[in-house]
Formats: sequence, structure tokens, C-alpha cells
Amino acid sequence: MSAVSMRHEGRAAVLTGEVAKLPAFLRRDLLTALSYRVYFVSDVLGLLSQALLFYFISKMVDSGELPAYGGSPTTYLQFVVVGVAIGVFVQFALTRVAAALRQEQLQGTLESMLVTPTAPGTIQLGSVAFDLLYIPVRTVVFLTLMTVAFGLDFQASGVLPAMLVLLALIPFVWGLGVLSAAAILTVRRGAGVASIAGGLLALLSGAYFPLTLLPTWLQEVAEWNPIAVALEGMRSSLLAGADWAETAGDVAILVPMSLVSLAVGMGAFRLALRHERVRGTLGVY
Amino acid sequence: MAVTLENGAAIDVREVSRAYGSILALDRLSLSVKAGEIHALLGRNGAGKTTLVRLLSGLVRPSSGTCCVAGVDVGHGARETHRLVGLVPSGDRSFYLRLSGLENLMFFGRLHGLRKREARERGLVLLGEVGVADAARRPMSTYSHGMQKRVSVARALVTDPPVLLVDEATHDLDPEGAVQIRALVRRSADRGAAVLWATQRVEEVRGFADRVTLLERGRARFQGTVAELIARAGARRFVISIGANGTGSLPEPAVLERALGAAGRIAPAAAGDGTYLLALADDATLGAALRALLEADVDLLACRHERPEVEEAFLALLGEAER
Repeated sequence: MSAVSMRHEGRAAVLTGEVAKLPAFLRRDLLTALSYRVYFVSDVLGLLSQALLFYFISKMVDSGELPAYGGSPTTYLQFVVVGVAIGVFVQFALTRVAAALRQEQLQGTLESMLVTPTAPGTIQLGSVAFDLLYIPVRTVVFLTLMTVAFGLDFQASGVLPAMLVLLALIPFVWGLGVLSAAAILTVRRGAGVASIAGGLLALLSGAYFPLTLLPTWLQEVAEWNPIAVALEGMRSSLLAGADWAETAGDVAILVPMSLVSLAVGMGAFRLALRHERVRGTLGVY
Repeated sequence: MAVTLENGAAIDVREVSRAYGSILALDRLSLSVKAGEIHALLGRNGAGKTTLVRLLSGLVRPSSGTCCVAGVDVGHGARETHRLVGLVPSGDRSFYLRLSGLENLMFFGRLHGLRKREARERGLVLLGEVGVADAARRPMSTYSHGMQKRVSVARALVTDPPVLLVDEATHDLDPEGAVQIRALVRRSADRGAAVLWATQRVEEVRGFADRVTLLERGRARFQGTVAELIARAGARRFVISIGANGTGSLPEPAVLERALGAAGRIAPAAAGDGTYLLALADDATLGAALRALLEADVDLLACRHERPEVEEAFLALLGEAER
């Protein structure tokens, strides 16, 4: 066997070993979540109250002010439900990635993990693995509940393209979350920065109102917001039915942005870890 | 599980310094620990023990010098060395308190690469060995500090590592628990593990550690066996017996101090029984000190080496360092 192929096999074994650790993180976080008895109940109740709030707001909004998808008029509830689902997804992911790391730092378990032969990337991914599974499931449950409860008309053929768009967005949000986590690791406070970034992204995403209401120059900025791209793609899919060509166009825009975000986030996290080791303040909180 | 290296050292620290701002926590420290050896790191709070443990576990980088575990520089191959090292940290916070002791051990075992079943089996065995089997499935938030410390020791042993770094493991334990933990660590060393045991409980070193490094302000004040530590401290300390003077009373300590001059210091060992502790000055000989007392008409009845216990040796050496 050549040295190169042995090295490749070695790398593959390391990667397999790291991936095999992820279920341990999932189990840990599921057990922790279950230990808080009202965790899931309060989450569902929060979602329902939000849905009710937008149901009543939708009664005031004129559908004529909203963009039409597939040539049919859109109700505000249809419009905003997709926005809320993605907006909450982004906000949740942004804050949870950073908060998960902060939590580990505060309870002293970050160092306990760092002294195991586990890659920082695995620790980072593992710390949010539960949320990465839970939040999309929660988003789907939310959309399903809204469809059933308020008789919203979503196109079944658009579900798969919409999920593809969502998948392409996940690394972007995750990258931002890891960047925020890196900031928290070094300056101890950073959740505020994540909230501001999340708020700005949500404002310029068209989650709660059409982007056409923004000043022209902000509309131009918003066009480059990956969340706005993802939202438009998902709305087109869910409200107007599958258009794989359009979905592919959205995914093609999102994937490079997601890759850059994830690479920058991971790079920043590695730098932050190295910086803390040099300073000797990894355990300081 | 033992790691064998050319120079026989599983832990090799060379000229390591570590500064935190203007504070020098470690100052050009060198030490080595062989496979199968328990090396006690003795010192008061702030002596630099935890800093060394953190350096060896890769949580902190040295300002200068090298820390090697199994021949690998921790600063450049921390993940490689993490496979070989079990760490018992000094702090209280290092577990998921909402999870049980068993679930915690399973989680960390899996991060060390154990399969789920292996991690569970190993966790149950270790929790039994550290005396926490009855509480294995209870949330760790219900554990006492002592129980958490025991689980911490169990976690360090989960992969039966060839290098153990133990920082104040018996700090929160009752005497029985401390004996149990020391026996576990001793067994690990007997199987070939190199153990660095940081402690300020000097009494636990005798009969447990093979070698000792006494740290004071980041510097090694002493390195050697426990017997050598005791002998070194005792070599310059003597117990002398003095008879009553012409008036039937024992001489005042101040009078004796004056008589000794620069040759050393003297203080009553026990009230009123005529025994005194004589500590020689660095450049003084026993003969010079005794001559000085005799010339002052002190009635010297006997003189013997003091054989201090470990704690006395510890204090004596630290006292020397302060003078």
C-alpha cells in the first residue's frame, strides 16, 4: 500500500471516528432537554401564540400590497408564516450556536471536552447538532400546524424544493453562529452582537414585510442578503409550487455564501481557541 | 498501556516558563515522570501546580520551554497527546449536572473514541471502583463535591490512559474516599501509567508518591524521593537538650539566640522540658553552632538530627525559600 493511500485511509479513519462522536452529543442534549420537563411544551406554546398574533395582524393587511406568487394573490398570513419560520430559524440558530459554547464555558465542560482527542470542529458541530436537527423539525411542525389550523394553502410539490433551499441556508447561519461563538470565547460577551446581526439580517430579509417597502438603496443591499434569497426561494416553492430551475438558481447563490460563512466562522473559532490557549484564559468566564 | 521512550520519561518538562501578564506562574521548570511512577507536585496555593497540569493537558501554551507527553510536544500535537492523557481537573465544574454520573462518563468515554456499549460498561465498572455505583443513574446535580471528584477520577481512567494528570483529587474527599482514590491511582501506576499528582496535602505523599517536586512561586525548590525530601530538610535541623543553669532554670530563648549569633536559629521544641530546635544558617556548621552555645556556658546534654515528617520537611523547605 502506498504512503499516499495510507494517509488517505488514516484521514478517513479519523473522520469516521469524529463523525461517530456526534450521536454522543445528540444523546447528551436530548437527555438534557428532556430533563427540563416543560422544554418542548413551552416551545410549542410559544410557536402557537406567535401564530395567533400574526393571524390577527393578517386581518388588517391588504393582500394587494403583497407580492403575488405563481400569479395568485397571497394572504399576509401565508406570506408571514414562511418569514416567521425562517426568521425564527435564523435567530434561534444564531443565538444557540454561540449560547451553546458559552454554556459549555460557564459550566466548565468546554475544557473537559478540549482535553479529549476530539477535533474543535466536532465539538462545535456536536454542541449544536441537536439544534441543527431540532430547529428544522420545529420549522416543519410550525408550517404544518399553521396549514392545518388556519387552512393555509401551501403547494405540496414545493415542499422538497423549499427544503433544499433551507438546507443550502443552514451552513450560512451556522457559520455566523460559529463566528459569534468565537467572539464569545475571546471577549466573553458576544450574544448582543449575534442578536444585532440577527436583527439586521431579519430586517433586510423580507420576513415580516415585502422588501419593496424599503428605500431603494436598502432594497439593493437586501438583494445580497442570503436570508432574503432563501425566503424568496421558499415562498416561491411553497406558495407557487415547484420550480426546480428557480430553486437551483437560489441554491447556486446560497451555496458559495454558505461556504464562505462556514469557512470564516470555523477559521475564527480555531483562531479564538489558539488565542485563548496562548493567553491561558480558556477556563475564564 | 505504558509508554516507553528513549529516556524513559512519559512526561518530560524542559525549562518551561509560563507568565500571566506580569505574573510568572512557572519559572524555567524541568521535571520528568517515568512510566509506572507517581510524581507528587507539592506546593502551596499559587505555587504553579495547576498551571503545569494545564500546560501538560494542552489547555495552556508555555511562554517558553517544552512540555512533552509520550515524546510528543503538547503545544504542537495536543490532540495526539489527549489520547494518552487522563486529567482530573482541580475545579468543581466540569460535568453536565443534569445528566447522571453514568451518562457523563459515557459521553466523555465516547469523545475518547469508545463505542456506546464499551463506554457504558467501562463507566459502570469505574463508578463502582470509585464508590459511586449506587448513584450512577442519579443526576450529578444531586452529588456532593466529594462524589463529583470521584466521578472526575473515574472519567480520567475511562480509557486506562498511560499518563494521568491529577490536580487536587483528594481535596474534597473524606479520609476513606481519599485512600480509595489513591489506591486506584496506585493501581493505575502499577499497570504502567505515569502519574503527576498535584497536591497541597503533604501528608498523602509519604507511602504513595515515588518522587516529589516541591514548587514555590513557579520554581522547583526540591526534586527527589520522599525520603530525600525528608532527609534534605532534616539535615540542617537538630533537636538539642539543654540542662538547667546554676539557678535551676532553663536559659531564655533570647539568650540562646544571642549566643548562636549568625550560626542559626533556636526555639523551644516543647515548653519547659529543655528540648530546643536548632536550625543552622546556610553557611554554618553544626560544630560552630554547638561551640557558640558552649562558649556561652550553655549546658548541652544531647544533640540529634531532627527527623521531620513530610509536612515539617515541606514547611522547612518553604521556610528556607522565604529567607
